[in-house]
Order: sequence, then structure tokens, then C-alpha cells
Amino acid sequence: MKKSWLLLFLIAFLSIALVVGCAQGDKEGEKAGPDDEKPAADKDKIVVGAARSISGPLAIQDETCFGPVYRMWFDEVNARGGIYVEEYGKKLPVEPLIYDDTSDMNTMLNLLNKLMVEDKVDLLLAPISTAFLKAAAQVTNDQGYLLIGAEGGAKELEPLMAEMPYFFSLLNYATQQVQPLVDMLAENNVKNAAIIYIEDQHGLEYKNDLVPALQAAGIEIVFDKAIPMGIKDVTSILEEAKSKNVQALLCCAYPDENFLVMGQCMEVDYNPDVILFGPGACLEIFVSDIFGPAAEGVMGWGAWNEKSSPELADLAKRLTEHQKGVRNIDWWGQAIYYSGLQVLEQAIEKAGTLDNAVLKDVIAGATKDDPFKTVVGDLWFENGGVPAECYPGQVGQWQSGIFEVVAPSDKATADPIIPKPAWPAPNQ
Amino acid sequence: MISFINILLNGLLLGGIYAITAVGLSLQYGVARILNIAHGEFIMFSAFITWMLHTTLGINPLLCLAVAGPLMFVLGYLIQKFLYKTLKDKTPSPAAFEGSSMLLAFGLLFVIQNIAVFIWGNNIEGYTFMAYSVYLGDIRLSANRLVILVLAVLICALFYLFLTRTRPGKAIRAASQDPEAAGLMGVEINRMLALCFALGALMAGFAGVLISLAYQLQTTMGMQYTIIAIIVVVLGGLGSIPGSLIGGFLLGIFGSIVSGIEPGLTMAAYYLLFMVLLLVKPSGIFGR
Amino acid sequence: MKIKANYKKYVIPVIAILVLVLLIALPYFAERSDSRYTIVLFKTILMFTILTLSWALFSGPTGYTSLATAAFYGVGLYTAGVLGRVLPLPVMVLCGGLASFLLAVIIGGITLRLRGIYFAIFTLSSVELIKHVLHWYEITIAGGRGRPVVRVPDTTVFYVLLGILVLLIITSYLLKRSKYGLALSSIGSCEEAAAHIGVNVVTLKVFTFALSSFFMGLAGAIMATGMVYIDCFIAFDLNYSFFPTLMAIFGGMGNIVGPIIGAVVFTYLREILITEFPYVYMFIFGTVMILTIIYLPNGLIGLAESIRRKLLGGKHADTTCRRVN
Repeated sequence: MKKSWLLLFLIAFLSIALVVGCAQGDKEGEKAGPDDEKPAADKDKIVVGAARSISGPLAIQDETCFGPVYRMWFDEVNARGGIYVEEYGKKLPVEPLIYDDTSDMNTMLNLLNKLMVEDKVDLLLAPISTAFLKAAAQVTNDQGYLLIGAEGGAKELEPLMAEMPYFFSLLNYATQQVQPLVDMLAENNVKNAAIIYIEDQHGLEYKNDLVPALQAAGIEIVFDKAIPMGIKDVTSILEEAKSKNVQALLCCAYPDENFLVMGQCMEVDYNPDVILFGPGACLEIFVSDIFGPAAEGVMGWGAWNEKSSPELADLAKRLTEHQKGVRNIDWWGQAIYYSGLQVLEQAIEKAGTLDNAVLKDVIAGATKDDPFKTVVGDLWFENGGVPAECYPGQVGQWQSGIFEVVAPSDKATADPIIPKPAWPAPNQ
Repeated sequence: MISFINILLNGLLLGGIYAITAVGLSLQYGVARILNIAHGEFIMFSAFITWMLHTTLGINPLLCLAVAGPLMFVLGYLIQKFLYKTLKDKTPSPAAFEGSSMLLAFGLLFVIQNIAVFIWGNNIEGYTFMAYSVYLGDIRLSANRLVILVLAVLICALFYLFLTRTRPGKAIRAASQDPEAAGLMGVEINRMLALCFALGALMAGFAGVLISLAYQLQTTMGMQYTIIAIIVVVLGGLGSIPGSLIGGFLLGIFGSIVSGIEPGLTMAAYYLLFMVLLLVKPSGIFGR
Repeated sequence: MKIKANYKKYVIPVIAILVLVLLIALPYFAERSDSRYTIVLFKTILMFTILTLSWALFSGPTGYTSLATAAFYGVGLYTAGVLGRVLPLPVMVLCGGLASFLLAVIIGGITLRLRGIYFAIFTLSSVELIKHVLHWYEITIAGGRGRPVVRVPDTTVFYVLLGILVLLIITSYLLKRSKYGLALSSIGSCEEAAAHIGVNVVTLKVFTFALSSFFMGLAGAIMATGMVYIDCFIAFDLNYSFFPTLMAIFGGMGNIVGPIIGAVVFTYLREILITEFPYVYMFIFGTVMILTIIYLPNGLIGLAESIRRKLLGGKHADTTCRRVN
């Protein structure tokens, strides 16, 4: 019996020592880590953290959408010597601290917590997807961290914006995009349309905006059908559209399903006058790798291109160079994502501090008369979102290998081709 | 009427793809008792190889059957020889082997997927191949899916003949029915198991090539094909090649009917059909 | 010899109580040393420990590999999404557990005939079926994708999880010691024989299955409160079916300690990899999994067992549970 008591004491002693040691260790770790309270002279870099989906189903977006943009931005800023922060009286380089959330919500929130609470990063970048963004915005807002959105944006977020002064939405979505599209369709005498939408917030919002807008413009809606993620065959829907002579097929799904619909349209020889794909058609690989000449005349949400402005032409060139010559460009979001990073950079220079509370006021304080100067031109926020006029375009169409902006008309780089040309003749 | 025939044919075309995805898994589980969760990763890998050969060297994707398939065969053989065999020698009982081989397959899934990401990235990829219609009388069919269907059936038939008519095929079947007796009769069980796993990988390789003809590719796509394959295998009966073929067609036709009525419930319908069938006839349509 | 046998009896409970005391004290130290992230990390560790241990509660002795963990966990999450705004926290968590319990009774009831791989695949499909039907309902009928969740402080979530875990460990222990535990193992060894010697196989199987799901549902309901927003694809993620199974195999399934160690080590390893090596996380994780299963076929606990046997000079017979078909 004596021995067992001895053992018990030993274990108790050891574990208490361990706890105390851990607590001490954490304290030391904290002193060594980046911290706002440290004397100004010590600050030698700006740590920018993010929980991104590097593996899992969402990883494609880190590869094609915001990912290439922020990676290039880090390199560009550091090549310039960093961002000048008045508080420290010098230029500070930016250092990325990127974690993999494995496309899992719980992991993403945990990692954001780690970045804010343990790593005490100076700035945060947005996670991937609307659902993640929605959760992340509230968590970061509570902790007083500035968050500028990236991939994802939704009407759902609009009513929450007032409660989240630290969150700024960036990407254009249904609210801004549907009306220019419908106007363009009406101008070109499109009489009827069919909507295929993905069973998701994204698809639902576009469908809910499209239906009243199309009705108001006098365009008949032949059907609107939901398709689930992971569907492998949509022939029966396309056969129906074909038999009812649908003029405009509007497909608001994700790249996976959009590409399937596109491929099967060709397979069943269905060539509507207008064909539009939600995200997916805006990717350079849509024409360069996957569909080639068949992409001619296909529309997609977006949009910007090299003809929009010299700044955007330069951005496309730099993005291509940064990816070792691979033209992996997203003609919907990448221009505005880069603008978001420029806003961040300019806000720091303007505010002279890395204090997120000050930064958010500086960003919110920009107006039409005193905007940020970015690659898309003047940019400012209204109610936490970007006003429609700041975007370089809302609808794009592939014309001879260029994703031309075709709506709204004041931003258009080319006239829309309606009806679109026939599918290329089979030559294999 | 035409539309009903269309739905049926579209179902058949889809079923061909499902069938070819399932055959390899059926063999691996039916004989080697390995529930290869990484099956879809072999499919993904082979599909990407095909895509790469087609887009960079301009090789006809159908010719890639002869490249990607054997490559997967070798890969499968090595994995069985170096990993599964070691595992089998070390595990005390067949039941424990089923559990731990699944864990091993999960590890493989992670490793293979990450290697694919190293090579090809996370981007969505694809190419168009024979994306046009052909007509059989009044009925319109998609050309590339027709090719897939014909090839899938052909491959399954050849494979079935191999299993029933040739010596190694018979040995594999003997090993699956009664490993001990087969061992006593001079069948080298370990070689048969390796061959079996490798053949499963070969089938996954073929499936990958065929899938790349009609679908876009992503390095994360493996799991969805694994799950479809598992469903088809269980539907048709474990280890039965004709069963997998019939199971695939059944699932395809059923999916096609549901997507004609309420497309939003297509995926749910797959699982419902599968679960009901499983309850009614647990050993599958062609199960022993 | 006698002393040795005596203190051995106390080692595990003493360690368990000490660990518990440490865990209870953790938030206090974490707050003081300003490392609140520790609590967040422990939340995930506790969650996976609960899922793994409750999975092992049923699947360990019976040998039925259930892959429905994500369904029960997801039902818990979803209950929090639906009821979180109208019910107080403890009632809501309990509702999550009960909802999972009911679902498990249904699934358990209709799968009586299925065994082995068929049971595993059926349970796997049930996750997907629930996910797709519920998602379809949310989109086309309810008209939205997901649901917001009422948020609760991390420390509260931590303590609730800890409470669930303690309850689960006690339940597992009592069940193992009782005649029902023995009856469950007899089902694992030979179900027909068990029925012949008078074990009420059906009731016992379904009840244990539902009991294990109850804990998964509890864990889901409380974890949801840390998530802000949930939808079907977040709630019914197949990884939550696979990971607990893998963690249990990884740790070793013979006793209660194995799954716990498996879950803790597995979760912590994953955490390190996704933060330190995000771009090769899957590669390293997969390799570790492969090496572990090949070189430690009985899991981590098997390794500990063999080391202990070596140290004690092989005086003890091998008592690790081995399932036979």
C-alpha cells in the first residue's frame, strides 16, 4: 500500500509541475511572438494570417481565385520593401502565415482563433466560400479583427453588415449582377429563359433574383430547376429545354456542375441563343484547357479583362508572370481581390498604424470623393459592401479567346454576340 | 415514348461509367478482403495521366488505356506486395485485417491525393472529346458516352472471360472461394492476392481513362467515385463481375428517371434505392 | 507480488482523476497565461475523443463497423441549429442527444439483418441520404441553405464536453463490467451462439447502438454553438464518420484507454500538420497512418502493451482483446 501512495504523490507532483511549466512556457512563447504591446522598435514585419482550404473540395478556389492574388501581393509588397507604417517609422515587410482548414468549418474557425488569440497576427485574410465567410466574419468581428472578403458574397450577409463594422464584403454577387444581365437580354429580344441552379445558397440567391427580374422585363421563364452537387447526368433537363425552344439557358451552379452542363449541351446538340454559367465560365482554363473553340459566345458572371483598363491589363500580365507564365486567371474576382489587398495596404499607410480598429474606420471612411485608388479604379465601401459602379463589369462573354465585358453597357468592352455561334463541328 | 426510351438510354450510358468504376473494387473486396477506400484515387490518378498525355502530347485518350491501365496495375501490385502483404502477415485475424486494411487504404488515399496535388495542382481540368450527338434512328445519343459504354462493357466482358476461362483467373476465383483449399491445391495465395489487387487497380485505371472522356477532373474527386463504386458493388454482389455491370446499369437508369422528375433529389434517390435493396436482399443481386 | 497487484489496481483511476483535475483547471490557467487557444484546441480534442469512444462503445465489442457517426453527430449539430434559439443550452444539448438516440434506434432497428461490410456501407449511406434529403428540403422548401447557431463561450463548451466525456467514460466502464458488456462481446465472437445462450441480441444491439449515438448527438449539439453557422454539408461531413473509426483503430480497441489515446494523438498530430505543414499535410498524415497500421497492428495501446510486457519480463499472458470472425 505504501508504494501506491508514493506513486500517487509522484504523479501528482509531476502533473502539477507540468501544468505550471506549460503555463510558464506559454507566457514565454507569447513574449517571443509578434505582439502589439511590444516596443515599436522591435516590430520588424507585418504578419498576415489566413485559414485557407489547401486540401479538400474547396481547395480549387485557393488555387484559381484568391490564392494566386494574395501570393503575388506578398511578393510584390516585399519587393517594394514592405508597407510603410508611420507608427514604427519604417517600411515593414509582410509575412504570410497560412494554415490549411481542410475545407472543414470547425477547423477553419479553430484556426482563425489560433491566428487571432495565439499567433496574434497583425492582419487577417478571408477564408474560402460564402458559408465560411459568414461564420468567420462574425468571429473576427467579435475579436476586433478587420476582415475583407474574398471568394464568396451573399445577400444573406447584407442584413448582418450593420452589426459587423470590421467586415467588408468585396465580391459582386446576385444583387449587382442580375439586373445588368436581364437588361442585356431584353435589349437583344430574348423572349424566354430557363434557369438551372445548384442546390445551395449561391444557386438559390441567383434564382430568387433572376425570377422577378426576368418577369419584370417580360421574359418568360420556361422552368427553373435545382440540381444537387455531385450530379452526373443532366441530359433530361437539357432535352426538356431543347424541346421547349428555350432561348437563354442560365446555369447558376459551381464549376463542377457548370462544366458538366456545358459538356452535355454539346453532347445533346443543344445550342441556345444565350448560355450563361455561374462561376466556372470566368476561368481562363474554361477556354484554354477544357472547351477551346466551343467556349465562343458562352457567358459568365464577372467580369474584367485586359481591355478594361491599362491597370487591369498590367494585373493580368503580372499574374501570369507570377505563375511562371501559366495564364491561370479568374476573370470574375481576381481584379477585385487585388483591389481589396490594395485597400488594406493604403489604409495602413493612411492610418500609420496596424491597429485594426483604426484601419476599419479608415476603410469605412473612404467615399466616392475620397476613394482608394486601386486596379479597378476608384473604390470605396457603402454599408460594408462595394457599390455596383466600382466593379469593372458584371457579365462577360468569351469572344475569340477574350472574356469580354458585355454588361453593364457603360463598362462593356465589346457588344454581346446574341445568338451565340453554333458548337464547333466534330472533327475527331 | 421517345422520351422514355431516351431516359432509359441515358441511364444505360451513365450506368456504363458506374459499372467500370465498380468492377475493380468488387474484385479487391471480393477476393482480397480489402475495402479499398483509395479506389477513387487510382481512378483520379489515371484520369489525370490521360488528361496530361492528351493535352501536352496530343495522344488520343483511348490509346491512354494502354498506358494508364498498366501503370496502375504496377502501382497496385507494388502496394499489395509491400504494404498489404506485410499488414496481412502481422494481423492476427481476418476481421482485424478488414479494419486495419481500411485504415491503410485511408492512408493511401491521403498520400496519393497529395502527390496528385504536387503534380497537377488543385485546379479543375478537362478536355472535350467527341462531345457531339450521334443518331440511332430517331434517338439521339451522346457520342463520347456511347464510346464509354461500349468500352466499359467490352472491358468487363474480357475481364469476366479472363476470370472464368484462364488459369490465373481460375486460381483467383479458387482463392476467393476457399483460400486454404486453394493453397493446398498448389495455388500461390500471396501471388494471387497481389495479382488480384493489381487487377483491381488496372480496372480503376481503365475507369479513370473513360471518366476523363466525359467529366471534368479534380484531384479531390476520388471519394465520390469510391462511394459510387461501393454502392454498385454491394448492389450487384461482392466479387461478381456481371453483378457490378448490372448494378451500374440499375443505378444509372434509376438516376436518370429521378433526374427527369425532380433533379434535386437525384443523389438522395441513389442512396435510398441502395439502402432499400440492401435491406431486401443483403447479398446483392448476384450475391452468393 | 501482492503489492504490485494492488497498486496496479489504482494506477488507471488515479491517472484518470488527475487528468480530469488538470482538465478542469485548464481554462483557469489558459486565461491567466493568455493562451486561450488551448481551450479551443482541447474542444476539438474532446469532441473527437467523445466520438471515438462512443463509436468504440458499440463497434468495439460487437465488431459491427458503424460509419454513421457523422449522421448522429450531424443530427446533434442540426438540432442546435433548429432549437438553439428557443431552448436553454442544457435542454438543447439533451435534445440533440435524444434526436440522435431516436435516429439510431431506427437505423439499428432496420439493419438487424446486415453484418460486416453491409452494415458499414448501409450506415455510410444513411449519412449521405440524410444529408441530401435535408439539404433538398432546406433549399427547395425552407428556402435557405443553412442555419445560424446561437454562440456560447468556448469555456462553457469545453466544460460541457468534458462533462459528456466523463459521463461517457463511466458509462463505458460500467457497461464493460456488467453482464451486458460480456453479452456484447459474445455477439462479436459469435452472434448465433450468443442468441442460443439466452442473450437478447436484438434489444442489446439496438440499445447499445442508440446509447453510443446519444453521446455523439450530445457532442454535436454543443459543438454547434462554437460554429456560428451550419448547413448540411458542414454537419454531415463523411470525415466525421471515418476519423473516429480510424482513431479507434489507431489507438487500439481492446479497452477504454485505447480509443482515447488514439483520438488525442490523432487530433493533435493533425493540428500540428495543418498549421506547420499545410501544403504536405495529407502526405505526412497518410504516411504516418500507413506506417502505424503496418508496424503497430494493435494500435498505440498495443505498442504500450508490448513495451510493458518487455519491461515486466513477459510474466503476463497477452490479455489484449482479439476479435475472431
